[in-house]
This record gives sequence, structure tokens and C-alpha cells, in this order.
Amino acid sequence: MTILEMLKDTAHAEERILEAVQKAHESQKDLNAIVTFIDPAEQIAHLNEHKGGLLEGVPVALKDNVNTKGIKTTASSRILENYIPVFDATIVKKMREAGAVFIAKASMDELAMGGTNTTSVTGPVRNPHNLECMAGGSSGGSAALVAAGVVPMAIGSDTGDSIRKPASFCGVVGFKPTYGRISRYGIIPYSSSLDHVGVFTRSVKDAAVSLEVLAGRDDHDMTSSSLPVEHYLDAVKGDVAGKKIAVLKNVIDAIDDEATLHCFNDVIEGLKAKGAIVDVVEMNEDLLKALLPAYYLIANCEATANHSNLDGIRFGNRVDAETSEEIMIKTRTEGFGPLIRKRFVIGSYGLFWENQEKLFRQAQRVRRLIVEEVSRVLKDYDVYVAPAAPGGAPKLDDTSRDELSDKYLVADNHMILGNFTGYPSITVPMGLSDGMPVGINLTGRAFEESELLNIAQAVEDITGLCDSKVGD
Amino acid sequence: MEEIKDQAYFKALARKLMFELTDEEADDIVQEFKTLCVQLQLLEAIDTTGVEPMVYPFETPTVYLREDEENHTISQEEALSNASKVVQGHFSVPRVVK
Amino acid sequence: MKYDVVIGIEIHCELKTKTKMFSGAPASFGQRANTCVNEIELAHPGTLPALNKTAVRYAIMASTALNMKVDTLVKFDRKNYYYSDLAKGYQITQQFHPIGSDGYLDIETDEGTKRIRIERLHMEEDTAKQYHLDEKTLIDYNRSGTPLVEIVSKPDISSGKEAAAYVSKLRETLFYLGVSDVKMEEGSMRCDVNISLKPAGSPVYGTRVEIKNLNSISNVQKAIDEEIKRHSSVYDAGGSIEQETRRFDEATQTTVSMRKKEGAVDYKYFPEPNIFPIQLDLDWVKSIQDNLPELPDQRRARYMKDYGLGSYDANVLTSNKDLSDFYEEVCKVAKDGKIAANWCISELSGALAKRNETLSTMKLSAVHLGTLVNMILDKEISGKQAKEVFEDVLEGKDPKEVAAAKGMKQVSDSSAILSLINQVLDENPQSIVDFKNGKSRAVGFLVGQVMKKSKGQANPAMTNQLLTEELKKR
Repeated sequence: MTILEMLKDTAHAEERILEAVQKAHESQKDLNAIVTFIDPAEQIAHLNEHKGGLLEGVPVALKDNVNTKGIKTTASSRILENYIPVFDATIVKKMREAGAVFIAKASMDELAMGGTNTTSVTGPVRNPHNLECMAGGSSGGSAALVAAGVVPMAIGSDTGDSIRKPASFCGVVGFKPTYGRISRYGIIPYSSSLDHVGVFTRSVKDAAVSLEVLAGRDDHDMTSSSLPVEHYLDAVKGDVAGKKIAVLKNVIDAIDDEATLHCFNDVIEGLKAKGAIVDVVEMNEDLLKALLPAYYLIANCEATANHSNLDGIRFGNRVDAETSEEIMIKTRTEGFGPLIRKRFVIGSYGLFWENQEKLFRQAQRVRRLIVEEVSRVLKDYDVYVAPAAPGGAPKLDDTSRDELSDKYLVADNHMILGNFTGYPSITVPMGLSDGMPVGINLTGRAFEESELLNIAQAVEDITGLCDSKVGD
Repeated sequence: MEEIKDQAYFKALARKLMFELTDEEADDIVQEFKTLCVQLQLLEAIDTTGVEPMVYPFETPTVYLREDEENHTISQEEALSNASKVVQGHFSVPRVVK
Repeated sequence: MKYDVVIGIEIHCELKTKTKMFSGAPASFGQRANTCVNEIELAHPGTLPALNKTAVRYAIMASTALNMKVDTLVKFDRKNYYYSDLAKGYQITQQFHPIGSDGYLDIETDEGTKRIRIERLHMEEDTAKQYHLDEKTLIDYNRSGTPLVEIVSKPDISSGKEAAAYVSKLRETLFYLGVSDVKMEEGSMRCDVNISLKPAGSPVYGTRVEIKNLNSISNVQKAIDEEIKRHSSVYDAGGSIEQETRRFDEATQTTVSMRKKEGAVDYKYFPEPNIFPIQLDLDWVKSIQDNLPELPDQRRARYMKDYGLGSYDANVLTSNKDLSDFYEEVCKVAKDGKIAANWCISELSGALAKRNETLSTMKLSAVHLGTLVNMILDKEISGKQAKEVFEDVLEGKDPKEVAAAKGMKQVSDSSAILSLINQVLDENPQSIVDFKNGKSRAVGFLVGQVMKKSKGQANPAMTNQLLTEELKKR
């Protein structure tokens, strides 16, 4: 069921919330998508205070890096296993005002650092379409809960493609709007200049409604935008006549999965049939190949600093020792998983005085060139599109990827472009490959979410994949 | 002279970040570092002469400054609520060597 | 051997804002531990900084007063290090783009005015306060996030005395601006000194030693003097100075080593991604710069011009802003600024020191002191009487009422005085003879007799003048 359908029938909100809670519990054994269940009784009791809200009575799951006052927030890390925030993230306040009811904190890759959702301290999240497959990450729990029909909406965060990739793997809509559109205050960070807050939904229209609730200037976040929030739903017409769409040739060329390409071509043909002007556009290949290394550096350099606060002194899972320095060391050694510690090491390496110019600063320079390349394309086109991933969700035990291949460097990671630029970007389901969902990614111009959602709606109209059930 | 990026190097680096690596983890990093170095060559290959580092996705300066008015204070109880050791309203750790 | 002394000074100064640098929690002192905080100073995960407008205004004021260029595009950076008093594990500071740069401060030295160049002034945040007990350390985050400016001089200072003059002038300037309490003993102003010696005239700098946390201006001077002696004697003996951090030990009045330098610490500075560059409104900046409170130098010049004070008196007054402010209030009433200055500098300061009080703890009113000054000028009472009246004025009493109650008045009527003079002369013929014989002492004696007869109310100057005239007539 979608948000819009629920809003038409708010009389049965309580029933639906309880049903969502029940489904959440039932899903846990298979999906392992939830870190903390939230008892909604108190929120239900206050439901009538939010009559007419855009999310009135809608059950919502939050990625576990969204701070919730009084409710454990762990970012799926051992170091925060016992952390109970004393404040709400700005978006939590906004959603509550709009009548949303939070029922679960969803699993994620530890501290949002990963693309598989296999590094959570609570174990891997499984894909509702095939329990042997990954849900993708880092917002895998949120993606899985929406895909399984537990909730119609779940919050995610996206630093590289952490909403848009799992959305593709799980067959749901995954949307991150422009950097600054949604406040980051209260979201446990990964990389401040790349982190975006966004949403998983079961339809493009639901993504539009969600954005209207989540968006807006927040004085607690100095990077948040003061541009007015629009009535996004009004703009979502699926009208693409005369719209200019660029197909990213580099990505297509790097994909060998026939089914994925087939689905993609069907969508493209559909868009053309609706009157869109579609061109194949090539970006500078050298820049695209440098995208992942540049990202890796920027993200990890910022992350190692961002998480220096996790020392066990004021909050978190302190491991006792003889000296305060040993407390910090033991707390951080036992609190962070191996992957996290490795990334901090690399990040710190890139920040060292003797390396910073040629690594971190070079990555930031390349970021500028890449952003210029993307904006060059978007000067002539309303959106650019590409398959969100080179295929369906990999198996959980799949270790076959070649990290130096074009497929990996370009096809698997091109959505980082949306984080480098900060431009709004959305993944919409486009079909199946080998029984697993695959999505198409669309990216538009900064703060032009209305146009992006409008075109995404056309894709949904073409595929008919709105509110589709697992196994459809 | 370039330092050798071996197990000991990364273990010492980790220590500066206030955590330890096991031998195995340090070995993993040594291996991954090799892959990373190849990836970094892709980065280094880009000519960035005259290009300014891009720190923020949007570079139009902002104008907002917060008014100097008290807007949010939490209670001592809340402040200490997540601490594992509290003494007389303070966070407590073993004596810090100055 | 002769050495050149090279000294640079770094000052950290807490700004007197209502809230923290990056959060809306109160920035106040002496409160219960961990009650002036919110999640931001505690660096809870997911918190973000929001820059305090008043802190920026104060930084602009200080930069302008120190003759610096103000960068109207405000940027911040992260300084990364792990320490138990640093909640985030990094400090937000302005490493790459300080708000103020390239300024100076003129100080007075024995050789005249000397210009000390100031390299930079930047904004940053304070750390938490730690209390070290025997077994444990207790941490209070009330101070965490308090706005600071750091002011870094060029190495233009060459003696302990100059250093003291520089710190004192800087302190005075910041105090006049009202941007900080500048209490060194309480840590709202902290001073670190970098010092090295080199053979006189040598282009090569000597090894630099840092002396940290000097908590008074006199200790700045003492520590430097001691350090100069130490370096000189080491060099004279052919030894070498180690690069290290030292502190001044009150007990022994010497500097002692805190830690040796183990290579430069890499703080891995990088631009703060959570704060976009902020373009300050140029009109706002200009209005701040155009409306700076009067600075000590300006006030000194005005005192010399408007009140005719000498530079010594002007200096004494302005070096104590409270006294100086009080003096100005006195001058609103008093008809002579110089006499008012004398009263403020000697009588008033003396009385305060004797009673161990400050102006704010006294009931004394500036209007009353001004009135007292006028009473002397108008010859209503004598200077001697005025001192007696002043004792009551200090307690908040009106000098007119005090003088009336004590029956004090000064006789300045020449015929009345003349009549007394003639009585005294008639009674003391021997003194007239003495005077004619050139014994000038006789005049003093006779004046004393007149004063006695008038019960101290005769105007002494008039008495003196009239008496001399009468003596000549006889």
C-alpha cells in the first residue's frame, strides 16, 4: 500500500500501523532488517494532534543513523550499541509533525560505510526477493522493509549511492534530493560534504509527498538550503513530451548483463514514445574512472574526523581500562568493525600533511572537474539516466568483484556523481534480471526535484512497477 | 624517502587514531593498499593544474549567522545520561596525564 | 656574548558572548558542571555547528582595533587530535583563512614607540575543563565550545618588558572593546610565548622554546627574563638549547620543562565541510568598524586635548578603564579636568587601595566628586577641608551637605581677611621686624596665625598675598 492510498483512508490508520508492526516482527527472521523495534502505542495516542498532516498515520522506518530522542540509535555499530540520543534529528520532528508513526530503526552498514549491508553489528540484511541475496547498502534495512511491504516509507542516507543502490536491488523507489534540501542535523554522518538524507517509497508520487515533509531550511544545519519547498506532488505528471534526456554511454558500455540492458532499453523506448528527446551522451572516461578513488578518499578522510567523537567518554560503549587513553583505544578497537578501522586508516593516511596535497586535495580537485563534466551534460539535458547497477543484487557470499574493472569502477559506482555534484537523483524500478529487481537511475539539476520526479513518474508509468509486490 | 607501507606502519598509524589492528587486519590493509594505489594512479593521472579543490557541493557563499540567544540547553541529567562513569555531575575517566 | 632576543606571542581570549561559538547553549562561568551544554558541545553523533553572530562581530571589532585586514568571507577548518577534553576529536578553527590578518599594535618602550606586527586573529572554540584528582579526571563541558579568538604576533618583541607592554596593551584594547573579560588569572585570556636567542646581528634564528599558559602580565615578563638568562648562559657555555615546551613555575620563579618536542604534530587540518563559506554583509561589517568603542590610545589623546592632562596622567587614567570611565563622569560636573584628574589619580585611587575596594563596591558618586572639585575651585572650602569632606563623599554623601554640617566655609572676603591680618600684625611686632630683616620664615608664621584666628576658613592664597602687601606697608 502506498502513502497516498493510506492518506485516503486515515480512519484505519491505527489498524495499519499495528499491522505494520506485526509484519515488521514477522519479517525479522528472514530479512534481519531491524535493529530496534519501536512500540508505537504512545505515537498512536497522539495521532489526532496531526490531523491532515501529509503523513497522517503512515508507519515509517528510520535508518538507524537517524537520532531519535529516548530511542536507541546505534548506526549498526557496536560502539553505539547503548547510545540513547537526547535529541531528535530535525527530520524526525518534521515527520512527527506531519503525522508519521515510527515503528522501527532499520539496519545499515556500520556507520553507513559500505554498499552491502553485511557489516551491521546485528548481521547482514537479506533481500526480500531472494534471501540469499544482499539488500544492498548502506541503507539496506530501510530498502528491505519498504520492498517487503512492511512500511510504505523509510528514511535512508546516501553518501555514495546508499539509497539508490539498495533501491535498485530491492525493487523500490530510492530518492535523494539535492544536497542541502533536507537537513542533516541529527543524522549520524559518514562524510559531511557527500551525505544526503533521502527516502525509500513504493511509488514516485510517494517520494514527492515525502520530500515535501522532509525538505526545508534548518538553522541547525549551515549547509541547508533556504530555497522554498515546493508542492512536489503537483509537479509529478509523468509528462515528458519535449523533455531532453541523456543516456550515459560510459555506463551502458560497462554493463554486460543482457537483461539489465534490455529493461533499460525498454524504458528508453517508452520515454521516446511519450515524446522525450533522448540522446546518448558520453562523459570523459578518465574522469569517470577516477570517480571511485576520489570518492573513496574524500569520504574516508572526512569520516575519520567525523567519528573521532566516538571515544566512550560521553556516550557509547565504553571499554574500561587503566588510563583514559587506553579507554579510548579499547573502546574504539572493540567498538568499530574491521572494515571501519581500515577505512579510517586510509582516510587518515590521505589527510597526513605529506599526503594531503596529492591525495585528499587532489581528490577534491578531481571532484570539481567531475562536477563540471556533469553540469556540462545537464546544461543541455533535463536529466541523465543509466541503469542504477550493472545487474541484480549479488549473493551475500559473492566476493567475485574486480575492483579495478570498468564494470566496477564505472557501472557499479557511477551514482557517486550525484553525491559529488549534490544534484537530486532517484532510482526507479525498471524490471528484473535473473529474477532480481533492477532499477534505472535518473539525475537532474540542483534543486529541480519537481522536474526530476515528473520524469521519474513517466518511467513508472512505462514499467507499471508502482507498489509492486515481492514476487510480481 | 618513502616509508614502507607494511603491517607495522599501518598498526602504528591506527594507534594514532586511537585503535588497534590485529596482524590479520593490518595484512589486509597492506594488500588493499596495493589495489588502492592502482586506483589512486587513476586519480593522479587527472591533470588538475590550476583547479581549486572542491570542498562543498555548492559554492555560493551563505549569509546566515546564528543570533547570540540561548536556544537550547539540556539538563545535567540528560548530559550525563549516556556516560558510563559519572562523579559529582562530571564525566569521569582515570587520571589523565597532562 | 651579546644576543638578539626574538619573541612572538600567542594570545587566546574567550569572547564575552551569551552562547557558545557553534551552539545555542549558554556560555557562562561558575555554573554547576555540565549544565551549560547541549548535544553539540558534547559532540553527540549527528550534531552540526551553527556559527554565533556576536562572536563574529567581536572578532571583527578586535581585528579592526588591531589594525588588521578583515576577511569578509568567513571560513573554518578542522584541527584533528585526540584528547579527553576535546569532545569532537577535532577543533573547529580558522587555520587557512583567519578573519583578521596583517595588523599591528604600538607599544611604549624606553626607546619610544615600537610597532609590534600582528600576523593573524582567528576564531575557534574552547575545550572542556578537566579536574585532575588523585585517581581520576573529572570533565566538565561547560567551557567546551566557548568562543575564542587567537591572536598571533610576529616575532617583533625583544625583551620581557616589551612583551609585558604588548600583552598589557592588547588586554587593555580588548577590554575597552568589551569583547572579553581578559582575566588572565581566571583563564579568559591565556598567553603563550615563543622565544629564541641568536648572536647579535646573526641572520640565523636560534632554537625556539615555547612557554605555555602564562597567567599574569608580570609572569610573562619574569618568564621571558628568566628564559633569556637561561639561553644566554647555555650559549655562553657553548651548549645548545633544546626545542621544547616549558612553563613558568611560580614557586621557584623559573621556567621548567613540560615536554620535549617529538617532531611536529600533524593536525591534519582540512576545510570544515559542515560550514559553507559565509559572506558577511559588507554594510554590517562597516557599521561595526565605524562604531568601535573608543580605544585607549584615542581616549588618552582626547584627555590631553580636552582636559589638558599631561601624558603621564592620561596614561594612568586610561590604563584603568573603570577609573577612566568614572573620571569622565566626574568631568561632566567638574569645571577643571586637571584637578578632577588629580583627585581621581591620587585621592580616589589611594582611598580605594587603602580600603581594598573597587569603584563598583563603593557608594561614591561621580557627581559628588565633581561637586567637591568645584567647591575647591569656587573657594567655598579649602583644599585641606576638601580632603576631610572627601572621606564622607566616599561613603556616598553630598559634599555640600557635609561641608555645611561641619560648618566649613572659606573666607575669601578681602576686608574680613585684612581685618584679621591687622589684628595678627598688631599682636606680633617682632615678626614684622624679622620680616624687614629678610627672614622670610616670618610670613609663614604670620599666615598660620591668621588661619588660626579664622578657624582655618581664611583662603590661604589670599591670606598670603594680602599679608605680604600689608607687611610691606608697615
